[in-house]
This record gives sequence, structure tokens and C-alpha cells, in this order.
Amino acid sequence: MTDDKDVLRDVWFGRIPTCFTLYQDEITEREAEPYYLLLPRISYLTLVTDKVKKHFQKVMRQEEVSEIWFEYEGTPLKWHYPIGLLFDLHASNTALPWSITVHFKNFPEKDLLHCHSKDVIEAHFMASIKEADALKHKSQVINEMQKKDHKQLWMGLQNDKFEQFWAINRKLMEYPPEDSGFRYIPFRIYQATTERPFIQKLFRPIASGGQLHTLGDLLKDVCPSAITPEDGEQKTQVMIHGIEPMLETPIQWLSEHMSYPDNFLHISIIPRPTD
Amino acid sequence: EDCFLEEKRFKQYCEEFIKHSQQIGDGWEWRTSKDLGDGYLSKTHFQVRNRNIPRDLKEKNNDNIERTLFTDVEEPLDDSQTAGVCATEEVIRYEYHVLYSNSYQVPVLYFRACFLDGRPLTLEEIWKSVHACYQARLLEGPWDTITQQEHPLLGQPFFVLHPCRTNEFMSSVLSSSRKHSRYTNYIILWLSTVGPVVGLNLPLSYA
Repeated sequence: MTDDKDVLRDVWFGRIPTCFTLYQDEITEREAEPYYLLLPRISYLTLVTDKVKKHFQKVMRQEEVSEIWFEYEGTPLKWHYPIGLLFDLHASNTALPWSITVHFKNFPEKDLLHCHSKDVIEAHFMASIKEADALKHKSQVINEMQKKDHKQLWMGLQNDKFEQFWAINRKLMEYPPEDSGFRYIPFRIYQATTERPFIQKLFRPIASGGQLHTLGDLLKDVCPSAITPEDGEQKTQVMIHGIEPMLETPIQWLSEHMSYPDNFLHISIIPRPTD
Repeated sequence: EDCFLEEKRFKQYCEEFIKHSQQIGDGWEWRTSKDLGDGYLSKTHFQVRNRNIPRDLKEKNNDNIERTLFTDVEEPLDDSQTAGVCATEEVIRYEYHVLYSNSYQVPVLYFRACFLDGRPLTLEEIWKSVHACYQARLLEGPWDTITQQEHPLLGQPFFVLHPCRTNEFMSSVLSSSRKHSRYTNYIILWLSTVGPVVGLNLPLSYA
């Protein structure tokens, strides 16, 4: 039987083989070779693609280079979503490697947030952690931590240091002994087909009678179309970190073990492949 | 005292707010998202701003300083009026949304601004347009900063005043209001405090 801690490691070290290709209309001085990279599922595009940027800038003139942005099959990729979420949502049932197109011009102002420095990523990451703790602990745990603890969470993510990150993050996964879980579960449910980018609602992990709510209970409550089969056939998949957890899984356990480093469960509802 | 705002109450206060806005023609409306019925307050207005006024002109028009730096045009400009705006002025379209945050149980102000040709203003340009006296308040205010974030219902980039300390400043505002047994509409109190910081003013009749 897999130890629960193994799950934490499997989630942290998940990778997606990716092929970066320069957009054909970008002006280059020589031909740009594609660049291959294993992307960490739990990180953010603009945090882990410095080498990609350098590689393509080598064949371009300085004046042709503006803020980098990424696109998959015509869809601008939101760098502020974790990489694993972007892949599960847009490309999980396609052949590997994941093919991402790199742009340096015509930044899509209406679709993407700007990311002028690593500080922006850090601020976004920490804001998510704070919001998650507002839901789990009324912000008590995060507010009791010192600035250096907050920094350690960020440095752990940035430098891919599992132990360093979890030394602090484990405190965010605790709850008072008299309770059976968090106050509310930090989660977001994504569907590529809707205008609304995600669904986020208040949801308690424990029912009034003391039973543990499951993933299925969560979906039934906030996104029933995801699990109600039409004409008896399940048309969608519920995916977290590239797998389909059983709907009977307690949501408290999922929150403790399969959240992203920002402490949110990012859940994708995608079309089930028909083959 | 718990000054968290429940979502039901948020919607009630917004309803009252809209009613008054309609009475005085202030331009606020309630929008709902098609799928889940979540709603938010929305207002769009246009502002005229002068660019690069020469130094001596500024000094001559001392009593008009406010107009030359940052003009508030309360009535929306229609196309014919916009065409009459001269080259040294530019028209900026501001959009303000008030959404409810489940996580913090407070209202949150989202906003964006763009020129008429669609070019969005950067955060730096918006900072610069904030009235000088509010810049100081912004630096010390009960919010960490203004940042760019994804609008939770539209999925597009907006600027946001951070909500995590809203409860702090609202508790003092609310308790003094309740002491005087005045009816308190949380949204009106809150918006009249945070709005001016980003160029959004509420006429006094809301109170």
C-alpha cells in the first residue's frame, strides 16, 4: 500500500515532456530549432522557461523581442495557472511531447496577465496560499508564520526543493484536534468550454453528521453536470495531476495530499476520449 | 465584532445600491454570469485627461489645476462629444466591477482602463492618474497593493485592490455608523472609501 507521503512526492516531481517551437511569424536571423524541456507540473511557465527564452533570443534581433508568451493550438496559455493544470485542461489526451508555441510579439492584453519579473510570480503564488489559508483556517496559520517562512515556501517552489517546501507547508495542512478537517476546502474546477474561467465555492469537508465529504459530493454540489451521465454514459473525466481519482475519495484527504503548492486543488473537467 | 459580509447580504445591499443609482442616473448595473447566476455590480465611465501641459500654462491656470491634471467627466461621452475632444486630450474608458469574494467574505473592486482605440492602460499609467492625495492613502492603506489579476467570472485581466484587510478598516467604519443608529449599507460605505483611490466617486446622495 502506498504511503501517503509517497503521494506528496509523486505530485511534486511530476513532469511533462514539452517541445517549444518559435512562432513562424517571429523574425529571426537564423532558423530557430525547437527546444525540449521537462516541465514540472507544480510550477509556472514563466518560472521555468528562462532557458527557452535564451534559446530563441539567440536567433532574434534585440528589437524584435518583447514580453514572452506561450500558446497551445491557438489558445494563449495563462502563466498564472500551474503547468500541470494547463496540460490536463488543454492537452491531456493528446500525444506527447506537449507542443507549445513561443511568441515575443503581439502580447494578448485581453487574455493574459503580464509577468515582467519573478516578483510577479511570487506575489501571485503567495496570494493564492493566503487565500487558501483564509478558507482552511481563517488565515490564522499563515498570519502566525514569519516572513522567512513565507519566503521558504516560495524558495522551495522556485528551486524545486521538496523538503524545504514541506517543512513549512505541513503547518498549512494541519487542523485543530477537535475538528476533523479544514473549515472549507480550497479548490477550483476548470472546464475549457465555459466563459467562466473556474468555479470556486465554499465547501465543507465534513458533513453535519461528521461523515467525510467525497470528491463526488463536491462535484454534485458545485458542478453536477460533470458527473451526471447523459444517456447512461459518462462523457467527461475529472482530472487532478493527470489522474482520475475515485469519486469516493474523501475531499479532506485530497486537499492534504493532492493540492498544488499554492494549497489549492485545481480540478479539470475534460471530455472523455472516445476511442 | 464580526464585520464579514455574507453573500446574501452582499446581494441585498447591491440591490439597494442599484435602485439608488437608477434614481440618480449614476450608471451602475447588476450583471449575472450566465451559468451559475453569480452577479456583480458594474459601471463604465469615460474620463478626459490632458497630456503634457506646458509648465507656464499650468501656473497660469492655478484654479484649474485639477482640470488640467485629471478631469472627472461624470456624464458618459457619446461619440459626437468624443470627436470634439482635441489632440492634447485623451479619453479613457474606465470599467469598475464589484464582486463578492467567498474566500475573504468581503466585496472586491476590480477595474480596468483603456484608451478609445482599445489599448489598455498599464498599472503605471493608472497609478499616475490617481489623485495626489489618494496616492499617499494608497501607500498606507489597508490593502497590500493594486495588482493585475484574472477576473473570476470573465477570465480577463483586471486590476484589483486586495481585499485581505478590508474587514479591518470596515469594522471601524461600520461600528461608528451603527453607534449613531444610522442604517448602514455596507457596499455604499465600502465603495465610498475605496472608490476614490482609483478614480471612482460616489455622489453624496447615496448616504
